[in-house]
Amino acid sequence: MLTLIGNEWLKLRTTRGPWILLAVQLALITLGAAGPLSNMPLDQAATATGAVAHVGLTSLVALMLGILVVAGEYRHKTITDTYLGTPRRSRVVVAKLAVATTAGAGFAVLGAGLSLIVTWGWLTAAGHTMPWSDAELWRTVAGDVAWNAAFAAIGVGIGALVRNLAVAVAGSLAWLALVEGIVGQVAGRDVTRYLPFSAGTALGRLPASIADGLPQWGAATLLAGYAVLFASAAVAFTARRDVA
Amino acid sequence: MASIDISVRGLSKHFGPVRAVHDLTFDVPAGQVTGFLGPNGAGKTTTLRMMLGLVGPTAGQALICGRAYADLPQPRRAVGAVLEATGFHPARRGRDHLRIAAHTAGLPTARVEEVLDDVGLSDAAGRRVGGYSLGMRQRLGLATALLGDPQVLVLDEPANGLDPAGMAWLRDLLRERAATGRTVIVSSHVLSEIAQTADRVVIVARGRLTFDGPLADLHTRDGSLEDAFLRLTTDHDDPAAAAAVR
Repeated sequence: MLTLIGNEWLKLRTTRGPWILLAVQLALITLGAAGPLSNMPLDQAATATGAVAHVGLTSLVALMLGILVVAGEYRHKTITDTYLGTPRRSRVVVAKLAVATTAGAGFAVLGAGLSLIVTWGWLTAAGHTMPWSDAELWRTVAGDVAWNAAFAAIGVGIGALVRNLAVAVAGSLAWLALVEGIVGQVAGRDVTRYLPFSAGTALGRLPASIADGLPQWGAATLLAGYAVLFASAAVAFTARRDVA
Repeated sequence: MASIDISVRGLSKHFGPVRAVHDLTFDVPAGQVTGFLGPNGAGKTTTLRMMLGLVGPTAGQALICGRAYADLPQPRRAVGAVLEATGFHPARRGRDHLRIAAHTAGLPTARVEEVLDDVGLSDAAGRRVGGYSLGMRQRLGLATALLGDPQVLVLDEPANGLDPAGMAWLRDLLRERAATGRTVIVSSHVLSEIAQTADRVVIVARGRLTFDGPLADLHTRDGSLEDAFLRLTTDHDDPAAAAAVR
């Protein structure tokens, strides 16, 4: 299994997609931090937390990474070679889950580091102090990293189930941008807070979700459940389907 | 009697009402080059993919060295396969593609340089595959197949994209593998492509076996090779096609 995980990591780093995603993620995190820092009072801890919380929103990038790890192989037909080398397909999917989740979390840790440095630099330059000992700041950072990891795992599941890269990316973006919102208008917040993106915002402590979202631990459990559900479906489906 | 490395028994694949492959039974002996022939859509690729565990059969089985592909302890060391020239990530370098395949099979990195040299891609190995010609991709595919120095070589339409020099090189490679007791099965829809290389031929048409034997037998039975091939692959229920053969 370790060989397979090493192999998936080798595949990931020998293409450009993951590094482009990381660059996009870091750029978004930096830009995102600039918003609250230029609009909110710098003497309040909530400003720093709000700046860092953008790390959680870039879990969209982690979702794309997860999708890419599987559907990218179908897109370029390298999946044939992968299964020729490892005919036990469920092992391949498990290795992909491990690598995508770790990369999703790792990229988020890098993003969080960058975000904290930017925020600290901004506050220091303006003559304020960084609220390093604020518990909410670290809760947010931890939640954001977990949100990224969970979305990377869900991405692997979606990629394995859909297999078509363009459809998987467009479908999951439409879900996040559109479907959860429409469901919210029809069924109300009591329902939407249990959907993946809303659960993510609660896990990542996005300011908007703190009032009426799930508690952070509840959101973490729910999102882990979604990840396990998608991953199990991915393993089950992948074993059966033909690779044409 | 040569040993049998690939044995196909009652192999079928039906897609709804379409019988892509139907009740196929044949053996591929070691020490020979076996041509796997048939017109486009005859079920060749589906059959090869079933042999390699990529497509699940509706009925029957295909065994390689006595086992289903998925049960081979070291698949890359037992079987090398070239299935399609497009199976590469365009942004990945040729060498990295081979490193990944070697890594799964537990083969040393030195082996990557050896096969690159074997197929004449050493100079291009540091370039991204997106910039490769079709012939270079075929060579990279062959290099991947040769990595584990496998007993069995399975090639699906390997001649596509190869220039005449590449074809001659491939012929020599296949003959050499067979001469050292390996098994080679190579598919094609053009008989002339493999007439100089193959010892035996297995011919399929519309998913069914129509001929299985030494290439020489095909000769004596039906006059010219090309006539025999056409006769064996033509749908005689189709008057226009049947008239063309007569």
